[in-house]
Amino acid sequence: MKPCHLIVFALLFVGCEATSTLTKSVAYSGVYEEQPNVILIMPPINRSTEVEAKEFFHSTLTVPLANRGYYVVPPFLSMEILKRESAYDSELFINQNLSLVGGVFGADAALFTIIHRWDKSLSTVNIDVEYVLKSTKTNNVLYTRRGEITYNTSVNSNMSGLAGLVADIALTAANTALTPYIEVARKCNAYTFQDFPIGKYGPAPFQDGAELAGKPVFKVVLSSQSAY
Amino acid sequence: MNRFICILFATLVLGGCVATPNLYNWNKYNDRSYSYLKNADEVSIEGLLEVYEIIINNPSGTRNVPPPGVMADYGFFLIQKNQVEKGRVLLEKEMATYPESRPFVERILKMLES
Repeated sequence: MKPCHLIVFALLFVGCEATSTLTKSVAYSGVYEEQPNVILIMPPINRSTEVEAKEFFHSTLTVPLANRGYYVVPPFLSMEILKRESAYDSELFINQNLSLVGGVFGADAALFTIIHRWDKSLSTVNIDVEYVLKSTKTNNVLYTRRGEITYNTSVNSNMSGLAGLVADIALTAANTALTPYIEVARKCNAYTFQDFPIGKYGPAPFQDGAELAGKPVFKVVLSSQSAY
Repeated sequence: MNRFICILFATLVLGGCVATPNLYNWNKYNDRSYSYLKNADEVSIEGLLEVYEIIINNPSGTRNVPPPGVMADYGFFLIQKNQVEKGRVLLEKEMATYPESRPFVERILKMLES
């Protein structure tokens, strides 16, 4: 088989994302009905053993949402207000009526992020993260996805034989240790939100309902070479 | 001919994967935000303020305005550093650029007055 054919087959099977059979207008019907504009990012809930996972995600959620065309409530101002009101723990809010939060911040929806797992092996960083966007008007879940994401840090030394194997292991271990975890979180967010409906400031707001939604629960392998 | 068909097909498939164009210039926003969240010291605050200046003074992307929240957060940090007037102007600019921010930003301004 020619290399060209291999590329075509690879593209057919991999595509750009594993999609569900639902269109976005069905999977995320609440987003198209309510057309939220102002999103409050709640401090991520960290249930993993990595103490810094909360900061990795909190600092990288604004950009993908704003780039989809939404107004994101100023993250540091909102953080300060939540702290002053002793409300910095998102667990307090996730199952509560969000109308008060909506009123204080002028937010149409609040994004909760739950980090279920963040650990690393010799050649991978393994993350299990769940995103839940809830309306502050109806309390309905507008958008939710959960991903088991493997971030591959393996390095190939291009050396052959046993020496090459040893070099690959050593380089991979060093690369895993040096991988900037903020970049891992950024890629998790960018991958997940690639199917988020286009909002007010994006091109053709809320006109993308006919596109296929991503799978609500997904597994994916990412790396520094991934496009996201 | 076969090669042409392959290239055409690959172009069509990948064409569907093209991300939405960047709406804004974010510069090193993620890195500096993380550094501030992690350390919250003078160095990390200065780093964040520096990137706010760059973003606000060099808007690009398809919208060619500073991203949402940046002027308000920057203004807030400046007010905390006793640069009250410059901070207040930035909060006003946030409301002018993003009218939906008005309820929240006005609440902040009232809080600062009291």
